[in-house]
Amino acid sequence: MIKPFSHRNCFRQICCYLIMMTLGSGAVLADPMPFFQQHCTVCHDAGTKSGGLDLTSLSSDLAIPETFSKWVKVHDRLASGEMPPKKQPRPPADDVKGLLDNLHQSLIVADRLRLEAAGRTGLRRLTRAEYENTVRDLFDMPGLALAGELPADGSAYGFDKNSEALDISHVNLTKYLEAADHALDYAIATRPDPPMVQKRRISLCNSGGFVAHVVLNGDGVLLVDKKIDPEFPPSGEQGHIDEGAHERMGTFERGSSVGLFRHEDESLSPYFIDHVTIYPGRYRVRTSLFAFQWDQGEVLPARGTEAARLSVVQLTGDGRGGQHPSYVLGYFDAPSLQSQEHELITWLNYNELIGFNTASLAPQANYYKKKRAMEFTGPGIACDWLDIEGPLHDVWPPISHRRLFGELPLVEFKAADNPNVRAPQRKNVRQLSGKNRPDPNLGLFTVRSEDPMKDADRLLAEFLPKAFRRPVPDTVKQDYLAQLAVRLQAGDCFETAMRWVYRAALCSPDFLYHIEQTGKLDHDALACRLSYFLWNSMPDERLMDLARTGELAHPDVIDTEVERLLNDPKSQRFIDDFLGQWLKLRQIAANDPDKKLYPEFNPYLQDSMVAETRAYFRELITRNLDASYLVRSDFAMLNEKLAVHYGIQGVSGSQIRRVALPEGCPRGGFITQAAVLKVTANGTTTSPVPRGAFVMDRLLGQPPEPPPSNVAAVEPDVRGTTTIREQLEKHRANQVCASCHAKFDPPGFALESFDVIGGFRTRYRSIGDGLPAERGGIDPAIGISFKLGPLVDPQGELPDDRRFQDILEFQRLLATDPDPLLRNLARQLIVYSTGRQVAFGDRDEIDSIIAKTLKNGGGIRTLIHEIVQSRLFQSN
Amino acid sequence: MRNGLQGYSFAFVFLLVAGIGLADEKLAERSTLKHQVTGLFSKDRIPDLQKTMQKLPDIELVKIDFDTSEAEFRYDAGKLFPNATPDQIVEQFDNLLRNASRHTFGIKPICKTPREKLMLVEIPVVGLDCKACCLAAYEAIYKLEGVERATASFKDGLVTAWIDSEKTDRTKLEAALKQRNVTLKDGSQ
Repeated sequence: MIKPFSHRNCFRQICCYLIMMTLGSGAVLADPMPFFQQHCTVCHDAGTKSGGLDLTSLSSDLAIPETFSKWVKVHDRLASGEMPPKKQPRPPADDVKGLLDNLHQSLIVADRLRLEAAGRTGLRRLTRAEYENTVRDLFDMPGLALAGELPADGSAYGFDKNSEALDISHVNLTKYLEAADHALDYAIATRPDPPMVQKRRISLCNSGGFVAHVVLNGDGVLLVDKKIDPEFPPSGEQGHIDEGAHERMGTFERGSSVGLFRHEDESLSPYFIDHVTIYPGRYRVRTSLFAFQWDQGEVLPARGTEAARLSVVQLTGDGRGGQHPSYVLGYFDAPSLQSQEHELITWLNYNELIGFNTASLAPQANYYKKKRAMEFTGPGIACDWLDIEGPLHDVWPPISHRRLFGELPLVEFKAADNPNVRAPQRKNVRQLSGKNRPDPNLGLFTVRSEDPMKDADRLLAEFLPKAFRRPVPDTVKQDYLAQLAVRLQAGDCFETAMRWVYRAALCSPDFLYHIEQTGKLDHDALACRLSYFLWNSMPDERLMDLARTGELAHPDVIDTEVERLLNDPKSQRFIDDFLGQWLKLRQIAANDPDKKLYPEFNPYLQDSMVAETRAYFRELITRNLDASYLVRSDFAMLNEKLAVHYGIQGVSGSQIRRVALPEGCPRGGFITQAAVLKVTANGTTTSPVPRGAFVMDRLLGQPPEPPPSNVAAVEPDVRGTTTIREQLEKHRANQVCASCHAKFDPPGFALESFDVIGGFRTRYRSIGDGLPAERGGIDPAIGISFKLGPLVDPQGELPDDRRFQDILEFQRLLATDPDPLLRNLARQLIVYSTGRQVAFGDRDEIDSIIAKTLKNGGGIRTLIHEIVQSRLFQSN
Repeated sequence: MRNGLQGYSFAFVFLLVAGIGLADEKLAERSTLKHQVTGLFSKDRIPDLQKTMQKLPDIELVKIDFDTSEAEFRYDAGKLFPNATPDQIVEQFDNLLRNASRHTFGIKPICKTPREKLMLVEIPVVGLDCKACCLAAYEAIYKLEGVERATASFKDGLVTAWIDSEKTDRTKLEAALKQRNVTLKDGSQ
C-alpha cells in the first residue's frame, strides 16, 4: 500500500486540538466589567441586548471560539471609536486605553496559544487551479485542460485556498483518477517519431464554419486586394444560392479575404473548422486582418482600428461548438485597409479548434433584410487567412514522456517477443471534423526496459520528488516499486505497470496536498508556499534546488527568488487567481446586463474590463506603486473599447496599455474600474449596499455584519420613479439597520455615479418614463431605447463625519489615508498565500509588515517582499 | 570507316522505323470518342474544363463544341476502363471527371434525339453574376428527365434548356428552378 499519509495528519490534528484546548483555557480575560457597567451596559445588557450583544453575560474564557470573536469585536469597536456611540458621553481616554491594552494582551495571548498548538494553516489539498497548473508544469503541457472537470472548490475568508474550503470526497477522488489518466494519455509518447507537422491555410469561409452561409446572404463579402471580389458580387436583393455549389466551385478557396459585418450571435459561431486538433500540443497560429467601411457595395477606409477575437473552441459530440469559446486567445487589431499579421503559439487539446469573432462590431444581421449587403452601411472586419501549424515539438519523445520514462527506447511491441505480457492499450486516432488527418499507424510502440525494477527505481527516484515537491524517503519509493512488481507479475507490460504507479502517485496525498509542518516551514515547504503564492503552481527546478541546498533560508536569496517569480510570465497565474477572488473577477459573467438598459455591453467590453483590472494590478506591482493607487490614480490601463466606454479620447486598438488620465477623471483605481463595478451590480440596477459592502470588505478590510434575517432587502426600482437613495433612507429609519448602513452606504453612494457596466452617469437609465437619452460613446449601429430617469446623488458622509460631494472627493478621502488600504491588501495577500485567515494574534506581525513596507516606500511589490519575509509566511 | 558509317545509318533508320511503328501501335490504342459534357453551362466554363482535364493526363481533350455541349476526347479505353462495356465506359469516365472537378463536370452519352425534335425553352431569371450561382441554377434542371442540354447565365439573365417536349415542359423547369431558390424574372421564386 501507499504510505498512509492521511493517518499521520489526522493524528497531528487531533493532538493540536487537545493542546489548544488545554492551553487555551489558561487565557482568561481580566475583568472589564467596571468599564462596561459605566459606559456600555445601558444598551448591551440582558434586557436591551443591542446588536445582539449582552456584555453582562459574555464569558471571559477566550478558548471558546465564539467568545473570542465577540471580544475581538468589542476590542475593535472600542479601538475605532465607534463605541460608545457618538451621541453618548466619551469615556476618559486613559480608561479606554487601559481596557484596550488589557483586551489586546489577553486576546493576543489566547490566540497565540491556539495558533502555536494548532498551526496557522490546516491540512489543505491543491485547489483546482493549483492542480491543473501543477500537472501542466510537471509535464510541460502548458494548456492541458483539467480544472474544468474537477469539482468546484469552496471558499473561506474570500479565497479557495483555505483548508476549510477544500474538502474532499469520493467525487474528488474519482475525478482525480480521471484527470491523472487524461494527463498520462497526453504525456506518454506512443510512436517512435513525432506526429508530422501539418500546416494549413484556412479561409474564414471554410466549409462547415458557418461563415460561408451568412456571407452568401449578405452578412459579409469576399474581397480581393481590398476591393470587391469580381467573381463574387455582394448579396443584394438577390442573394447567392446554394452553398454547396459555391464550395464545389472553389469560391472560398481562391485566396479571397473574407469581410464580415456580423458579430457572433445565437445562430452564428464562426470558426476555422478545417483544423480540428488530433494531436494535442503546441501550435503556431497566424492570421492577417484588416478593417474596412462598407457602404452599400463600396469598400471605403474604416472608422479606425477594429478588433477581432480569436478563441479556442471545444467541439461538442455532435460537431457543433458552444456559443461561448472555451477560452479567449486574445483580441487582435484590424487596421483600416491595411492587413496586419498576428502570430502566437498556443497549446491545443484534442478536438479543439480556433474560433473567430468580429469583436468590436455591433450586432448586425443583413441576412433577413430585403437588399442584404447592398443596403448596409457600416464597419466590417476582414480576415485574409489563418495559418495553423503543428504540433510543434522541440524534442521527441516530448519532455512529458521523458519525465516518466527517461531515455528508455520506444520500440515496437510484438506479442511473439513478449509471451504472457499484455500489450499497452491505445486509443484509436481518427480524423475529426477537420481536414487535418492522423498520421499512418506505424504499429504498437512502447518503451522497452531490459531491467524493469532497476529502471523503475531510477525513474521513480527522479519523478517522485518532482511531483511531491520535496525529497521522498526511500520507503515511499519502495511502496510504489512494490506495486509495480505486482503489476508486472500480473502480466502488464512495463509501460502499463509504470502508468499504474504514476497514476497512484498523481492521486496520492503527497501530490494532492500541501505538506506543511507546524512551526517554521522547512525549506521545501517554503519553496512550495512561495511558488504556489506567486505562480499558483509547483516550484521549478531552481527553487527546489535552493530548498535542497538550504540556500532558501537566506533573506537575500528569498528576495531574489520573489523578484524572479514575479518577473516570470507564470506570475500572471497569481494575478488572475488572486484578483479573481479578492476583487471577485471570477463573477464577471455572473449576470448579463439588461439589453434594453445597456445595449452597448458585449463580451469584448467584458473581457476588456477584466484585462484592465489585471493589467492595473500588474502595473502596481511592476512599478511598486503605493496603496493609494488602489482607489485613485493618474493613469489607467485601457484599450480603445474601454477608453470609449470611459469617455477618454485618443486610444486606438485592442491592446491594453498605460494611459495618462486627464485632470478630474475618476478612473484608474480599482473602485472605479468597470470590472469591479460590474461584479458589484446585478445586471439591471445598482445598489449602494453591495457596492459599499464590497469596498468596506474587499478594499478597507472592514466586512459588514450580515443583515438581520427579519428585515426585507431593498429592491431597486427600474421604472425610474424612486431612486435607491430614497429607498435606503426609508430603510435606515429602522434603528437596527441604521448603524451598519451608516458604514457601507457612503462608499456605495459615491459609486452610484457608475452604472451596472461601469459607465459614468449623472442620471439613472430607465426603461419607463424619462428624458430622451443621448447616445454618447455608444456605437451608432446600436439602437437605444432607454430613457434617462432621476438624477444620481453621489454625495455622502463617512462615519467619521467627513463629507464628500462626488466620487472624486470620496477617492481623495480614501487616498489620503492609505494605511487601511495597505493593511487590508496585506491581509488579503496573507490569507491567499498561507491558506488561512488572519488571526487576532497575527496583528502585531502585520503591523510589522506594514511598518517595514512603509519604511521602504510603501509599494505593493515591497509589500509582497515583506510578506514573504515575515514569520506569518514562513511558519505554520 | 565508310562501312562503319553505313552500318550506323542502317541501324538508325531501323530504329526510327521501328519507333514509328511502336508509336503508331500506341496511337492505334487511343481512340477519339465524343461525349456530351455536363456542367458546361456557359462559355466561360470551357477554360474550367480544360483545366480540369489536366488532372486526367490519360485523357486528352481534343475539341469542345459549346453549342451542343459535346466534346471529343482521346483515350485508351481498354487501359483506363478494362473490360468495360461502352455504357460502363461513359459511367466510369463520368466518375473520373466528377471527382476531378468536385462534381461540377460530368459525361453522359451523346443525345440520340435529333436536334430538330428538341424544343428550346428560355426562362428569364434574375440573380448575381456568379459562376457558382449559375451552376446551382443549371443543376436544378439539367438532370430532369427530358432535358438534353441546358445553360445558365445570370449575367445574361437566362436559363435555357433543349427539352424533349414529350417528357417535360416549361412548367416543370420553372418549378425546379424555384425550388433551388432561383428567382424568375416575373418575380416569382
